[in-house]
Amino acid sequence: MGGLKRKSSSSAKTLAKSKKKKGPHLPNSILKVIANQKRPLNSDEEDDDVIGSDDEHGGDLYEYEEGVPEEESRKNNRYDRHDNYDYELPEDFEDENVESEDDDDGGNTDNDEAEGDDDDDDRHTRMLQSLTGMPSAAFEGESKSKPVLFTEAYPEGEFNPTRDVLEGKNVLTEEDFLAPLEGTPGYQKTSKQIARMRKDTKHVVHAPLPKPQRERLERKAVIGLVDEEFSKWVHLVKKNREAPTVYFNQDVDLGYSTVGAIASEFQPRTEFEKKMASVLNDSEVSEAHRDDGARLLELNEVSMEDHIKDRNHIAKMRSLLFRHELKSKRIKKIKSKTYHRLKNKDLKNSSLGALMDPEMAKEEAMRQEAKRVEERMTLKHKNTGKWAKRMLSRGLNVKYDGTKAAIAEQLQMNANLSRKMNSMRDGSSSDESDDEEELNDGSDEDTPSRLIAKAKEKTLKALEDDEVPNAGLMSLPFMARAMKKKNEEANEEAKRALEEYEEWENSGGENSKKTVNVSGRRVFGATAKVEAPKESRKDSDNFYDDSDGDNDMPGIEDNNIEPVRDNASPARNTITDTEKFDDDVAGNPASKTTFDVAMFASGSWKKMTGSKNTESKKASKKTHAPIPQAQDKKGSRDEESEDSESEAEEMVDGILTSASKETFEVPSQAELINRAFAGDDVLDEFEKDKEEVLNQEVPKPEKPVLVPGWGNWTDIQRKRGISKQMVQKHEAEKKEWEQGLKTRKDARLKHVIISEKVDKKAEKLHTTTLPFPYTSKEVFEHSMRMPIGPEFNPSTIVGELNRPEVVKKTGVIIKPVKFEEVNPNDEVDDEHPRNHQKQKPKKKTSRRQGKVKSK
Amino acid sequence: MRIKTISRSVDEFTRERSQDLQRVFHNFDPSLRPMEKAVEYQRALTAAKLEKIFARPFVGAMDGHRDGISCMAKNPNYLKGIFSASMDGDIRLWDIATRRTVCQFPGHRGAVRGLTVSTDGNVLVSCGTDCNVRLWSVPRPSLEDSDLSSEKSIEPSAVYTCKNALLAVDHQFEGDLFATAGAQLDIWNHNRSQPVQSFTSGSHSVISVRFNPGEPDILATSSGDNHISIYDIRMSSAARKILMRTKTNSIAWNPMEPMNFTAANEDGNCYSFDGRKNEEAKCVHKDHVSAVMDIDFSPTGREFVTGSYDRSVRIFPYNGGHSREIYHTKRMQRVFCVKYSSDATYVISGSDDTNLRLWKAKASEQLGVILPREQKKHEYNEAVKNRYKHLPEIKRIVRHRHLPKPIYKAKAESRAMNDAKRRKDERRKAHSAPGTVVTESHRTRRIIKEVE
Repeated sequence: MGGLKRKSSSSAKTLAKSKKKKGPHLPNSILKVIANQKRPLNSDEEDDDVIGSDDEHGGDLYEYEEGVPEEESRKNNRYDRHDNYDYELPEDFEDENVESEDDDDGGNTDNDEAEGDDDDDDRHTRMLQSLTGMPSAAFEGESKSKPVLFTEAYPEGEFNPTRDVLEGKNVLTEEDFLAPLEGTPGYQKTSKQIARMRKDTKHVVHAPLPKPQRERLERKAVIGLVDEEFSKWVHLVKKNREAPTVYFNQDVDLGYSTVGAIASEFQPRTEFEKKMASVLNDSEVSEAHRDDGARLLELNEVSMEDHIKDRNHIAKMRSLLFRHELKSKRIKKIKSKTYHRLKNKDLKNSSLGALMDPEMAKEEAMRQEAKRVEERMTLKHKNTGKWAKRMLSRGLNVKYDGTKAAIAEQLQMNANLSRKMNSMRDGSSSDESDDEEELNDGSDEDTPSRLIAKAKEKTLKALEDDEVPNAGLMSLPFMARAMKKKNEEANEEAKRALEEYEEWENSGGENSKKTVNVSGRRVFGATAKVEAPKESRKDSDNFYDDSDGDNDMPGIEDNNIEPVRDNASPARNTITDTEKFDDDVAGNPASKTTFDVAMFASGSWKKMTGSKNTESKKASKKTHAPIPQAQDKKGSRDEESEDSESEAEEMVDGILTSASKETFEVPSQAELINRAFAGDDVLDEFEKDKEEVLNQEVPKPEKPVLVPGWGNWTDIQRKRGISKQMVQKHEAEKKEWEQGLKTRKDARLKHVIISEKVDKKAEKLHTTTLPFPYTSKEVFEHSMRMPIGPEFNPSTIVGELNRPEVVKKTGVIIKPVKFEEVNPNDEVDDEHPRNHQKQKPKKKTSRRQGKVKSK
Repeated sequence: MRIKTISRSVDEFTRERSQDLQRVFHNFDPSLRPMEKAVEYQRALTAAKLEKIFARPFVGAMDGHRDGISCMAKNPNYLKGIFSASMDGDIRLWDIATRRTVCQFPGHRGAVRGLTVSTDGNVLVSCGTDCNVRLWSVPRPSLEDSDLSSEKSIEPSAVYTCKNALLAVDHQFEGDLFATAGAQLDIWNHNRSQPVQSFTSGSHSVISVRFNPGEPDILATSSGDNHISIYDIRMSSAARKILMRTKTNSIAWNPMEPMNFTAANEDGNCYSFDGRKNEEAKCVHKDHVSAVMDIDFSPTGREFVTGSYDRSVRIFPYNGGHSREIYHTKRMQRVFCVKYSSDATYVISGSDDTNLRLWKAKASEQLGVILPREQKKHEYNEAVKNRYKHLPEIKRIVRHRHLPKPIYKAKAESRAMNDAKRRKDERRKAHSAPGTVVTESHRTRRIIKEVE
């Protein structure tokens, strides 16, 4: 191939011409080879064209040949593209071109023809010049462009460029234009200028880019700007999106919102309002207000007297208040309950003034008197009422405590009213009352002897007074007889009483002697009883029957006697106890030790004996001096008991030691375990449990049975037995059951129960999958953990917890977001709030930003 | 005997008025109230059921037009006013409170395709297929006007004519520029009869245009050749272009998030985009079974409403894949335009049956003055329901909606188709070499490319 190239290059241009002429006659194979060599330089599409037509091949070959030396190739190129323009100037080349391209005929005639052509052109231009009157130069181009060489199948143009153009080389340059001018007068200058221009790249105006490319670049620039515009919103948008609540129009004023605003619109209507308004809106006052306020003092002048009066009044009130406070404090300090009770009662019954005011007291007394009179007249409270009678007749007062208490209360009231009557009487009192008073007085301090004496006196008097009235009703014979009888009985009684008094006087002397010995110490609750006091009790009982209500007596008598036995009594108690016990034990001496052992085994005896011993020892110490005998006795008993105790212990020890000595052997671990869990069979239990669970979760189908009355009425039915259907059904159920058992997760795990029970009610409280925004189960569950209701949270948080995502006001236009610079420092501070004071204003600002959108 | 009594100071426990509530004290020890979760769950269930019971979204219809409603515009400065235009060239201003026409704007010959109001609420701009842009001065709302039932008619303050039919118009937020969409995108000033700027792109017409409320110089358009473009009117060319598989009928910018917008697509889905990253949608909102005709964002930016050719109106959360609510009535035909009221409480839809319909944005919301205690109760119910919304029973109740039969059937059908497709894809994936079959995500599936 290289050889061929060389050959062609070395050959003269005439040769080439001839070749070109012969182009169409060249064998196709050679043409192909040549084309192949060219192919890598060209695009595939063009190759196809090349192969397609022979004429083009000729052209290709021609171009190829000429491309070898650089200068030549350039010239050729020029020739190729621009046809005759350049080649008309140098004569040598002109002919060749015309020859080769245009005419397929012989090359010799070309020159002449060209000349002839030239002549023709000249003539034509001249003609045109003459016709139009324009300079010949105007028509030159037209005429010269005429003889165009077409080396391609199609004319060159936008859609069919030559290969060189596509390759990007062999493009026309300035030098090509300048070369023919070399030597002409302006050449130097222009070449210099061109060189300068070439160096100067600043002022070069490039050709505009194709439209789509240009638009793409433009768009890129715009995109950058728009993106920048959008990006500045990111902070604000992010803040809004992350906020738990977005507020809109919170600062919009919807009319009157405050009381002050409403009040400012107030107009006085009624007379009073007008008066008030006139005072309030008095020009003088308002002016004074508007000034420094000094004139207000003048307007508000008060006389000296008034001021003093006021002051005194206030002082007085204050001191009164102070005293009252002090008094109430003092009273409050009193702790006595009775005092307070009485005080309260007083307050309730009669006001404080009633006690102070005599008239009020009198009135009060009158009222009380009236009450008393009424009570005497009606005996209202002495079970005479309808209700009380009924209750008593039916015996309900016994049955019910409440009724009983009510009746008792009534009686008490009656008693109170009647007793008061006595006390309220005037100074002239009867003998009886005197006596009573004396008796009452004496009862506190008098000795019984004196009482007895008095009683004696009275009875004697009664005996003396046995006089029968002579006139009236009593003088009638039957009445007299009855009276006499009564008197006799009374007399007899009186005599008996006298005798008794005398007896009592004798014995009373002895008692009085004893009372003298009474020591100061009193002991209550002593359990020991002596015979002597019992006797006295008997006596005193009789005595009490006659005279009511001296409860001191028995107490005194008890006291009299007790101290005598006081010291000995505790010891005695214990002694008796121990004696008893010992006696029991001693009663069966043979069983004594066994008994002890048994007690020991139960674990309670040791303690008991121990405590007993110590107690008795203490007792013995105490009673050492007064009762030596008892101590001796006790001591011996103690020794005995101690002995027995020690014996018992030994015995127990003996048994234990002997047993362990005989059978001690180290048992194996398994044996120990076996022994430890001897009672419970775990495996069995587990199996039972599992069976139970299985039965519950996969219930075993019931066997079909003949239910009496259902399908077995006749003999035939009975003979047939259970119907086939039922049996089949049972079989199917059984199969299902077995299948169910097999498919269980724990079917093959012997020691495991895996419950497959599904709680249908709980199922609705679970989701089948994790809901979208959550990433883990824990977070999802956590989101529902704390309640948000008002019952479970204080009212201060409830609002926060329940706040919706968007808070807006209905009927207020929400404006679109407005840009506001977000301070990046703000966020940092929000993340680490140091103190509350700092945080508060920040919150405000963030809120405002939230609202800002709406402005 | 000892008697224990509770002693309370009179001052603290005396009510000022007889209507005041008695003071109640609670012990918040959790051990005293062991069943709180069960109690709250039950309350949530009750709240969900109550919500269903009280769901009465339809407030009223406004009829008066003699042809299908083609477009609407809300007055940004006046809550009660809404403008609507029909296919026969009739434009009306409605009073929402009384649901009556306040006045009419006669003039267009042919369908009105675009309506918009300036931010101050004084200028109404309309455009239509008669190649006219008409500017009207909006009558000031007054008490007397609303009382009178007479319908005034108003003359346009300016009429500008173009070469081509116009399909959409939108007004800049707080400015005096507005954009019309037709064969090209034109930017107009109120006072000039020629557009101050125009953008051409391709041979297809622009079918919708929407200005960004947060960034007043940025607008988005959609064109008939399935492109969505973002323009900055200070620049000479489009900023971004997204080529999708189907046409986008309408676009809405999120008023609270100026970089985000949602496109209502012909394929029945809405696509939320971030204006900075367009190669994939941020969220695909599916539920409509037919083309989505119009979309409007709630002023809170948390929801948007869509009207569809399937005769239903839906409300979507801005970041949720499925709708929160569907509104439909027996007589409502194809919905061509929807608007969210400026206080985010109502939704207005205009449909082919010549009626405007007013809906509540929250179907079970209690309207009117609500006492603070009532408000608290509502809030608590909402919070509890929201807390347990994932549990099956509550989920079922809250999600349940009655659908018209055609929608229900279409939904079932599309579901079956999607399932089949998914199954097929899965099998294809399973039976081919790993990595050779790539399933495209929903967010990129319908987007062909972002034009460089």
